[in-house]
Amino acid sequence: MASRPESAGSIYDLGYRRYEGPRLGRGHAITALYVQSLRAAFGLGRGASSKVVPIALLIIALVPATIHLGIAAATSSSMDIVQPENYFAFIEIVLALFVAAVATELVGRDQRNHTLPLYFSRALKRSDYALAKLAALTSAMLVLTLLPETVLFVGNAFTTNASWEYLRDNVAAIPRIAASALVVSSLCAAVALAIAAQTPRRAYATGGTIALFVVSSTAGGIVAVTLGRYGALLSLLDIMRGATLWVFGADQEFDVAGELMFGASVGVTVAATVLVFLRYRRVAA
Amino acid sequence: MSIIVTRALTRRYPGVTALDALDLELEPGIVGLVGANGAGKSTLIKILLGLLEPTSGAATMLGFNVATQRAELHQFVGYMPEHDCLPLDMTATEFVAHMAQVSGLPRYAACERTAETLRHVGLFEERYREMRGYSTGMKQRVKLAQALVHDPRIMLLDEPTNGLDPEGREDMLDLVRRVGTDFGISIIMSSHLLSEIERVCDHLVVIDAGRLVQSAPVSAFTVQTGILAVEVDEQADALARALADRGLRVSRRERLVLVAMDGKAPYDTIRDSVAELGVGLVRIQQRRQSLEDLFRPAEEPDGIAT
Repeated sequence: MASRPESAGSIYDLGYRRYEGPRLGRGHAITALYVQSLRAAFGLGRGASSKVVPIALLIIALVPATIHLGIAAATSSSMDIVQPENYFAFIEIVLALFVAAVATELVGRDQRNHTLPLYFSRALKRSDYALAKLAALTSAMLVLTLLPETVLFVGNAFTTNASWEYLRDNVAAIPRIAASALVVSSLCAAVALAIAAQTPRRAYATGGTIALFVVSSTAGGIVAVTLGRYGALLSLLDIMRGATLWVFGADQEFDVAGELMFGASVGVTVAATVLVFLRYRRVAA
Repeated sequence: MSIIVTRALTRRYPGVTALDALDLELEPGIVGLVGANGAGKSTLIKILLGLLEPTSGAATMLGFNVATQRAELHQFVGYMPEHDCLPLDMTATEFVAHMAQVSGLPRYAACERTAETLRHVGLFEERYREMRGYSTGMKQRVKLAQALVHDPRIMLLDEPTNGLDPEGREDMLDLVRRVGTDFGISIIMSSHLLSEIERVCDHLVVIDAGRLVQSAPVSAFTVQTGILAVEVDEQADALARALADRGLRVSRRERLVLVAMDGKAPYDTIRDSVAELGVGLVRIQQRRQSLEDLFRPAEEPDGIAT
């Protein structure tokens, strides 16, 4: 024994100490999982390669705001190229790609690594796990939606000659930006998690989510042209646009009532959320 | 106080009964859980952890109902699964600290105990590296560490030596023994290797086809038997016949002649018989039952009672 090298892992008697401190239970466990998952969504605490996709997409999401502000600064006049109510329409594909790539990193990864039994045998319920993951992905999407809107808003204020007047005139847009970002973020997060939670395979989850966004959009377009205007309700991208426009009180792009678009968005989000929770009630651990 | 109590615990799958009305009551200590593959060991562990629902029956662990009081119970439970369970793109430190927090420990305490626990299981500088590059032995240590980091009162270890080389096996068994005796944490350890259980555990639970075969202190399984094993260098068959002719109950097993003691040891009779045959006597030894015997067909088919 004495001759065994350290690297072979001899056990040193360091004296075991009991833990007498507080045990904070479920709430703390959920928060810990939420924070870790939100960080993981942007590759924080992981290797460099995990950061490439989310950070690149975050930068691309900022491109419309940057171009808008660049032109506004160059011409030193107030511009109407990109408005807060149509920002998401510019970046909807970026949002779909981000949520498709990140969802499986948050949930599929735990299934791939067989980490779920470790979570479910800790101070968490199965539904707590689903809740933490949903909240984390929604928050990550809020970063992706709110950051460009904030840059646009603040940038607009600074590129006009009358910043205070701009702020005063546009203060009503702030809650609308927040509300529309929340609607879009929670819909994307719930739909992507409902798919990603079904499979440990990264390719299936990412491909499936992107396919759902693209196929629903195409199907909605075809139905709208052939069978009637309500076809837009089939398209996830279209109902996200419609709901956003409705929140801002702007004119609808499709010939469908804004309330209906908003209702459809909330309906899809709720349905997908239910699917996520059902999945975690049954998933083998 | 019993750490685990099960009452008529049953788990059925379509066509298979994995646990069949299991009644069990275990005291604190290091308990070995033995059975063939598919005997129901993992099913029992998973039900105790709340990972599986029992079809019927009930169980308590540390006095908490395993089905209805999970959130409270799980703060005091550590689980080391049989299978891989580590995210290889994280470092051991990050992973174990995260798991400690999910067990309810505040952040600072989680970090402090992670450092200590990883030292206890014998991981040093490696703990800051991604687990991707770890050997099987190192991964098993991390798995043990994540089950230990929150100072549980009971740990459930499912085949902790799985996949380890003989040296890694020894280290892991030393660790488990230490956790149980020095750290004072109760342990339920499943294994299909009886020699491991014999080394580490105080108490043994044997299950087969989902039923309890036996639950007793390990010492009760290794008592001396009333049998002498006689080894000679040749003519073992002739010796067996000669001893039987002198009224002893005798049977053969491999190179040994087994003789029932029936009250007093027939050493003189054996000595005389060996001398008459003129063969060399290698040894006479009273047989000690080992745990392995539990799983062997009875070794004295010819009416030798033990």
